[in-house]
Amino acid sequence: MDVLIRQAHPGPDAPPYDSLAEKLRDAERYRHEEGIPWPVLVDDLDGTVHQAYGGLADPSYLIDVDGRVAFYELWTHAPTLHRAIRELLARGGRGVVLGGIDRRPHLLPALTAGWRALERGLPQSYLDLETASPGAATVTWLFGKLRPVLAPLTLRATPLPRSARLALAAGATALAGLAAFGIRRAMKR
Amino acid sequence: MATPTAAQRYAQLSGPIEREEYNFRHFRTKHLLKDAQATIRGNGIRPGELAPDFELLRSDGGTLRLSELRGRPVLLHFGSRT
Repeated sequence: MDVLIRQAHPGPDAPPYDSLAEKLRDAERYRHEEGIPWPVLVDDLDGTVHQAYGGLADPSYLIDVDGRVAFYELWTHAPTLHRAIRELLARGGRGVVLGGIDRRPHLLPALTAGWRALERGLPQSYLDLETASPGAATVTWLFGKLRPVLAPLTLRATPLPRSARLALAAGATALAGLAAFGIRRAMKR
Repeated sequence: MATPTAAQRYAQLSGPIEREEYNFRHFRTKHLLKDAQATIRGNGIRPGELAPDFELLRSDGGTLRLSELRGRPVLLHFGSRT
């Protein structure tokens, strides 16, 4: 399920909520725009549930069959979540999985998919983010434009197969080698 | 053991963010830093602990209580439209 929290990047067409009715309407829009197939719930205006769960940025919790936290992560990363769900199901739906917490900031998926969210608060959302963290809004825009190319790598629902990871690592090593070779040659001249 | 509720946990927070500040008008560097701080501290519910119960309105009508789903795994994501 999803719980709709506050506007993370408000703007003229997406102002901060000042009534529950407005938040409820926005939650229904969010469900339709994102094509969410599961229930979308609405937290109260104080963010009681969000804050009780740590007030984190874009978190996902996996709760086991006994109602205990099996795993949580920030900056929700689908492939990691996929692994956590598989491990939980393999254990009969009970217990802590993948060490319980994933604290890695998964920025690449956020940057690739983030423009759609930022776009709803334009132009203020862009200016505010660019002021808070110079370059972040522009990179989000750029990654949004490159989305067709980046998505197979950065917006995967499942972990990248081992062979593809090896190929990427080999490619990166080869590129680094070539760069080092080029720099050495340039320095000799 | 009775499952704690989100409201009880919220009431026990040492410094919950007030409504006005929680629903900020401008995203600022301090919000980014707060996110980073919460990440480093691991502010969430500790793995193995009971997930605080809550009952919230559904966008498509009615309500849903987390504890009604006991007996099957639940994926709980907190999202924003922006």
